[in-house]
Amino acid sequence: MTAVAVPAARPAPSAARRATDRWAGTGALVRVALRVERARLGVWLVAVAGLTAVSAASEADLFPTPESRAARAELMRSPAAVALGGPGYGLDDYTIGAMVANELGAWVALALAVLSVLLVVRHLRGAEESGLLEAVRSTPVGRDAPVLAAVVVVTLADLAIGLALAAALVGTGLPAAGALAFGLGCALVGLTSGATAAVAAQLVRHARTASMLGLAAIGVGFVLRAAGDVRAPESGSVLSWLSPFGWSQATRAWVDERWWPLALPVLASAAAFGLAALLAERRDLGDGLLPERAGRAYASPRLTGVAAVTLRRLGGALAGWALGVVAICALVGVLAREVVQFIEDEPALAAFFPEGSGGAGEAALSRYLLVAVALAAAAGVQGVGAVRAEEAAGRAAHVLAGPVGRVRWLGAQLAVALGAAAGMVLLGGLVMGVIAASTLDDPALVGRVVGAALAQLPALGAVTGVAVLVLGAAPRAFGLAWAYLGYVALTAMLAGVLPDGSDVASPLRYTPAMPAEPMDWPAAGVPAALAVVLVAGGVLAFRRRDLLA
Amino acid sequence: MTTTDAVAVRGLVKTFGRRRALDGLDLSVRAGEVHGFLGPNGAGKSTTIRVLLGMLRADAGEARVLGADPWRDAVALHHHLAYVPGEVDLWPNLTGGEAIDLLGRLRGGLDPRRRADLVERFELDPTVRVRAYSKGNRQKVALVAALAADVPLLVLDEPTSGLDPLMEVEFQRCIREAAGQGRTVLLSSHILAEVEALCERVTIIRAGRAVRSGTLDELRGLTRTAVVVSLRDADAALAALRDAPGVHEPALTDGHLRLDVDAEALDDLLALLPRFGVRGVTAHPPTLEDLFLREYGDAVGSPR
Repeated sequence: MTAVAVPAARPAPSAARRATDRWAGTGALVRVALRVERARLGVWLVAVAGLTAVSAASEADLFPTPESRAARAELMRSPAAVALGGPGYGLDDYTIGAMVANELGAWVALALAVLSVLLVVRHLRGAEESGLLEAVRSTPVGRDAPVLAAVVVVTLADLAIGLALAAALVGTGLPAAGALAFGLGCALVGLTSGATAAVAAQLVRHARTASMLGLAAIGVGFVLRAAGDVRAPESGSVLSWLSPFGWSQATRAWVDERWWPLALPVLASAAAFGLAALLAERRDLGDGLLPERAGRAYASPRLTGVAAVTLRRLGGALAGWALGVVAICALVGVLAREVVQFIEDEPALAAFFPEGSGGAGEAALSRYLLVAVALAAAAGVQGVGAVRAEEAAGRAAHVLAGPVGRVRWLGAQLAVALGAAAGMVLLGGLVMGVIAASTLDDPALVGRVVGAALAQLPALGAVTGVAVLVLGAAPRAFGLAWAYLGYVALTAMLAGVLPDGSDVASPLRYTPAMPAEPMDWPAAGVPAALAVVLVAGGVLAFRRRDLLA
Repeated sequence: MTTTDAVAVRGLVKTFGRRRALDGLDLSVRAGEVHGFLGPNGAGKSTTIRVLLGMLRADAGEARVLGADPWRDAVALHHHLAYVPGEVDLWPNLTGGEAIDLLGRLRGGLDPRRRADLVERFELDPTVRVRAYSKGNRQKVALVAALAADVPLLVLDEPTSGLDPLMEVEFQRCIREAAGQGRTVLLSSHILAEVEALCERVTIIRAGRAVRSGTLDELRGLTRTAVVVSLRDADAALAALRDAPGVHEPALTDGHLRLDVDAEALDDLLALLPRFGVRGVTAHPPTLEDLFLREYGDAVGSPR
């Protein structure tokens, strides 16, 4: 057997070489990441650019005359609209461009932010948790390369979508300078959120926790901007300047474009990515910030079965969603006073609200209750997704090899997911009702808002039911469940702006918008029946199919 | 296949899309025996086990476990069996002890003394979280959970692939105890030494079909014995044996004559050799590895 030639000893690499070695392999990682993500990014790009362009075109159709736009502008001055939309630049001369920037800007930025957080966490902590990063790091890839690759990929993704967005808006006839400011502003909100997620991914052990932290940071940013804009409309107060959403809207697209606010998210992202790289450099692979704690040798008596272990697994994430729901509902309860006050100060708008200023308040409450329902539905779909993850990880096979029936196993996990989602909606309704009742001095409002929350439960069940059906019938295509949730949420948020009939497949169309509208039992029965059929169908399909490992 | 078989499979077919994973498989495991289930990667061992556990539904053929239909009567059946999967993936934030207890509670309870005894025998630290265990320790968690259950059938899919040799010995001890108590064990493994040590009967599967089935002795009779003999007249012996029936690939190496001989021709060979002046002889009994490799095209290896 011939001996393998041993390479002659080489001198230790120079300091300069060592520095560039830290980033070795970044190019390959970027190429692989783009290859893996190209389908998903393609879908997001088309969806974001397409939906925004469609909304802009639709707005141009709905408000063709300057008078109609001026009337809309008056409505947009209300605190509720400011909180959900923007500080209201250009309300005095409400062009379509100003309308798009004011009403849609926050939501497009939100979509890009969510996309960026999930992308970054998937490639950093997700790859670490799955062992992929371990395999990669055993090759000549530098320690900083994964973070740098994540930076490059999320920057490319956000910029691509932002530019596609700008191009699509120019296509609808809007001026190019404003479109560019808008697109870049939204893209940079995404980048900042991705950078925050990169830091979160270094701190915690689980990809799901890192995603929740990133999403929570987005939520905080959104709320800061909302609060700041309400305080000081048309300019944004100090609070809005703390939020990436505020920075992107400060570019005043289509009103009076300013480019310097875009430097802020660039700087913030650079700082956050730098911090993430620093943290990644220092720690062991697989570690988080907190050391591993030892646990119990025997299971606590409360760990009785599938439902108990599901609660253990999902508890943190569900608590996060619940917190988000309660926060939004509390905020809206507080703002109810502002809305009513605003309508009372503007008698011209009273014509829109036949029940007077109280009606306006309730319209705002029902609108925001939908936001809470959307968040709770996201929690429910995530719970169903966790069942899919159990199956993919092989834990389902292990448990189902014991005397546990498939229906019992799936049913226990669905009970936790649906129960928590329903509980969140009711809790949110209670919080909103109590706070709104106290700010508006109307104790009966508590009962009406809680009743409104109850009325939303069938729609919640229907959306989660679709996820259950996908789990049972087409488990490998679980993304469809999230796509459906996105569709329902979007058609609810952009109700006034999208073409009529675009929400035909959404259960929220058939649910009365309480407390503003009265309860309509027959119509509410449709989503309820649908929910039962979907969940039952999904469970039966799961029982019949092969278990994927 | 008799009605008292613990596992009875006949003509099992399972396709995934265009790929035929099981192509008319026959398998029968008698009650109370330790049965080995061998085959190359991708042959269909895990697929068979998944069908037996009611995770996959067979496209054709018949499978009965403890007399019941594994798909329809899965829950009732699973009260009487315990499973160790090939890749153990348990809840990462639970500790090993909590995972064992949870699996036990889903079954209706574990004998605490037996559980404690097994945890000690396998040297498992139950306070460590599952995500912090090495692969072998994760496997131990699944093993303890299955062996602590009081069931008549154990289904084990490569249960020791990550265990160190000491734990391998402990595992074999536990299986012998289980067999002594009359339990049936279906053991799928690549560790041929383990199968030889534990199993009474063996089924070899290849490309979704069973190609050999029987006791180890029966199977050994199908292979050749490797013989190394040092002779006074080695060249003459080589010439004489070159065309002898039942003798394969005689060759001279380092002054020794090495050859493989079929079981039927062994008697004639031993009668022939003294003519050439035998100075020393080594006969290497057929191992399961030889049999295994032979089934897949390679020539039986000579002793090294």
